[in-house]
Amino acid sequence: MIRVLGYLVLHTTRNRLYRQAIKLKNPRYALALILGFVYLWFLLVQPNLSTDRGASLSYEWVAMLGAVALAAMVAWGWVFGRDKAVLIYTPAEVHYLFPAPITRRQLVAYKLFRSQLVIMLNVALWVVLFGTGSRGLPWYARAAALWTLFSTIHLHRIGASFVRTSLARHGWAGAKRRMVSLTIIAVTLAAVAWGVLDALPDVSRAFQTDLSAVFQTLGEVLRRPVTTAVLLPFRLVIDPLAAGTVAEWARAMTPAVVILLLHLIWVVRSDAAFEEASVEASLERARTIEAIQRGGPPVAGRGRPPSAPIFRLAPSGWAGGAIIWKNIVAVGRTQRLRRIVLITVLFAAVFVAVLGHKRESWAGLVSGLLAGWAGVLLVFGPLWVRNDFRSDLEYADLLRAYPVGGATVVSAEAASSALVLTAAQLGLLLLALAASFGATVSGIDDASKLALFAGAVVVLPTVNLLGMLIQNGIALLFPAWVTLGPRRPSGVEALGQTMLATPPFLLALVVALAPPVVVGYAAAYFLHPALGFGAYGAGIILFLLGMGLEAFLLSEWLGGAYDRLDPSASELAGSR
Amino acid sequence: MGPNGAGKTTTLRAISGIIPPTSGTIRIAGFDLARQPIEAKRSLAFIPDEPHLFEYLTVEEHLRFVGRLYRVPDAPERIGPLLGELELVDKRSALPAELSRGMKQKLAIACGLLHDPKAVFFDEPLTGLDPVGIRRMKETIRRRAQLGSAVILSSHLLHMVEEVCTRVLIIQHGRLVALGTIEEIISHRHDLAGLPLEEVFLALTGNTEPPRS
Repeated sequence: MIRVLGYLVLHTTRNRLYRQAIKLKNPRYALALILGFVYLWFLLVQPNLSTDRGASLSYEWVAMLGAVALAAMVAWGWVFGRDKAVLIYTPAEVHYLFPAPITRRQLVAYKLFRSQLVIMLNVALWVVLFGTGSRGLPWYARAAALWTLFSTIHLHRIGASFVRTSLARHGWAGAKRRMVSLTIIAVTLAAVAWGVLDALPDVSRAFQTDLSAVFQTLGEVLRRPVTTAVLLPFRLVIDPLAAGTVAEWARAMTPAVVILLLHLIWVVRSDAAFEEASVEASLERARTIEAIQRGGPPVAGRGRPPSAPIFRLAPSGWAGGAIIWKNIVAVGRTQRLRRIVLITVLFAAVFVAVLGHKRESWAGLVSGLLAGWAGVLLVFGPLWVRNDFRSDLEYADLLRAYPVGGATVVSAEAASSALVLTAAQLGLLLLALAASFGATVSGIDDASKLALFAGAVVVLPTVNLLGMLIQNGIALLFPAWVTLGPRRPSGVEALGQTMLATPPFLLALVVALAPPVVVGYAAAYFLHPALGFGAYGAGIILFLLGMGLEAFLLSEWLGGAYDRLDPSASELAGSR
Repeated sequence: MGPNGAGKTTTLRAISGIIPPTSGTIRIAGFDLARQPIEAKRSLAFIPDEPHLFEYLTVEEHLRFVGRLYRVPDAPERIGPLLGELELVDKRSALPAELSRGMKQKLAIACGLLHDPKAVFFDEPLTGLDPVGIRRMKETIRRRAQLGSAVILSSHLLHMVEEVCTRVLIIQHGRLVALGTIEEIISHRHDLAGLPLEEVFLALTGNTEPPRS
C-alpha cells in the first residue's frame, strides 16, 4: 500500500513540475525564471544575511528568545488555532483513498510525507538565505536542525488541531479521550500563568526605570525555575540551531529528535481524532469545491447568521465599489480578523491593567512596538493581506462575465486589500499616538506626533495601493506560480517562501516609489525659498499626483492583461 | 448539442465574453462583444452548470452585488419578487455553504435574471436538479423566452431539448454539424425522417448509422 501512495505522490509531483516547466514556453514565464535564477545566484554569492547580526547576540540569548517565540506560537495555536484539522485532504483524495482498503495510519503517514515536500523546500530556502549562521555550523547540520524544528512544529499543529476538534465536537467526552494531551497543556498553561504572576511585580518595577532594566529583568525571569521548566521542551527543539560546533549540534539533536518522534507517535496514534477532524474538514472542503470549483476558507460561525457588512452597498454607483464591498465583507466574516482584533484588545487591556498607573514609563515602549508593527505591515502586509485577485482569480469565469472593464476590476481588487491594510496600519498608529500622547518619546513632542500621523494618513493609502497593484500584477501575469485562493502557505515551515518573495517585491515597490518621491522632494526643495512652509504642501501634492498617475497607468496596463486572460487556461484551472 | 468535448461550453463561454473567440464577431443586442464588451455583457447572462457563488456573501447580498455591477438601480425592489419566484425567500440571509445544490443553482439563476437580460445562456441547466427543480427550470427557461429574451442552452438531455428548444445547433470537434428546427435538420437528411432526436443526433455525429426501415 505504501508503494501505491508513493506512486501517487511521485507522479503528482512529477506532473506538476512538468506542467510548470511547460509554462516556460511562454516568454513571460521564461524571463521571470531567468530573473529568479539571477536573484538566487545573487543570494548565494552574498555574505549570509545573519552573519553580522548573529554575532552580536550570545548563544544563550538566541536559544532563549527562540524558545520564547516558539512557546508563544504554540500557545497561540492552542488558544486561537483552527478547530478544523490542519491535515486536510483534497476532494480526489477523499473520493479515492478514504473508501479504499487503507488504514487511517497509512493515510496520516501519506499526508505527512506529502507535507515534507514543503518543509524540505523551506529548509533549503532558509539555508540559502541565512547560510550557516554566525557560529559556522556546517550547512548539513543546520539543514537537519531546521528540518527537525519545522517537522516538529508541523506535527504539533496537526496534533493540536485533532485535540481541539475532539473537544469542540464531544465536549467532556472528548476531553476524557484526550486526557493525556489536555493534562500536559493544562499543567503548562498553569505554569505559565504562575510564572507571569510571579514576574509581574519585578517587570512592572523595571518599567519605571529604563529599557535596559526591563530586558535585564526579563532575562532573570526567563532563568527562574518555573520558566525554565516550561521552556525546556522548546529549548530542546531550538538548541540544535544555536549550536556552535558539530559536537554540540550532535548532542543537541538527540533530544530534539526524541521530541519529534514523540510528536509523530502522538499524531499517528490519533486515529479517532483524525477521522473526526480530517474527514469532516476534507469533506467540507470538497463540498465547497463542488460549489465554487475550488474550496474557500472555512466560513465563520456556520449555522449562525453571518455578521452584518461594515457598510451597505448602494444599488448604483461605480462598479468597482461592489467588488471592494464584496472583498471587505469577506474579510469581516473570517475568524482570523476577529482573532487579531481580540488579541489587540487583550494586549491593550493587559498593559493598561498592569502598567496603567505608570504611563510615563511604558509610553515609549508601547508606542514604539505599535508603530513598529505598523511598519512591519508596510513591508509584509501586501504579502499577508490577500482579499484581492489572489483570492478572486478562482472566480475568473464569473468576474469575466460581469460588465466591468479590466482596469476597474484590477483597481478595485487592489484597493480592497489596500484599504484593509491601511485601516490596520492607521489603527495601530492611532493606538501608538494615544499611548504616547502627553509623554515626550524620543524627543518627539505631541505636535510632531500629530504631524507624523497626519502624514501617514495621507501617504499610506497610496503606498499600499501601489504595493497591492504589484502583488495583484504578479498574480495576474504569473498565475501558475502564485498560490491562488484565500489560503496561503502558512506557518514557520513556509516562512522561507515569504522571505524569498519579500526582497524582489520591496525592490519593485522602491522603484515605483522613486519617481514620485524625487518629484515631490524636488518641488519642496526648489519652491521653499518662494513659498516657505507651503512648499512642503506642494511637494506632498505632487508626490500624491505622481503616485496616483503610476497607480492609474499600472491599473490600465494590468486591466489589459486581465481582459486578455483566459480563465480556462491550465494555469488557472490548475489552481482549482 | 454535441458529444463530450465538442465545444459546447467553450462556445457558450465565448458568446458570454469570458474567453475571446479565435475568429469571427459576436454581437449581443447589437453590441460587438469585442469592441463594446461592457454594453454587450450588460445585456446577457451566463448561467454555468456549476453555480459559482462567493463563499462569504449571503443570498440577498449576492443579488445586491450583481445589481450594482449590472447597474440595476431598482435592484432592492426586484430582489424580493425574484427570491419569491425561485423559492429562496427563507434563505435570503444564508451563506452559500448552507444551501443545497439546487438552491445554489437557483441563486445563480436569480443573479443572472436580476438585470432582465436580453440573452440568457444556460450550460447544462438541469445538472444536479431534482424532478421538481427540473420542472421549475424548464418553466423559467420558457418564461424568459416568452418575455422576449433569446435563450441558448447546451444539454445532453435530448428529451429536454425536444421539449424546450425551438432551434437546435449540433456541433462536433468545434464545427457546425447541423442548425435549424428539428424539421429543418431532418429535411436535409431524408433517411432520418420520423426518427427520434436521439437517433438523429447519433447519426449526425457519426456515432451510428440510422436504423434501416
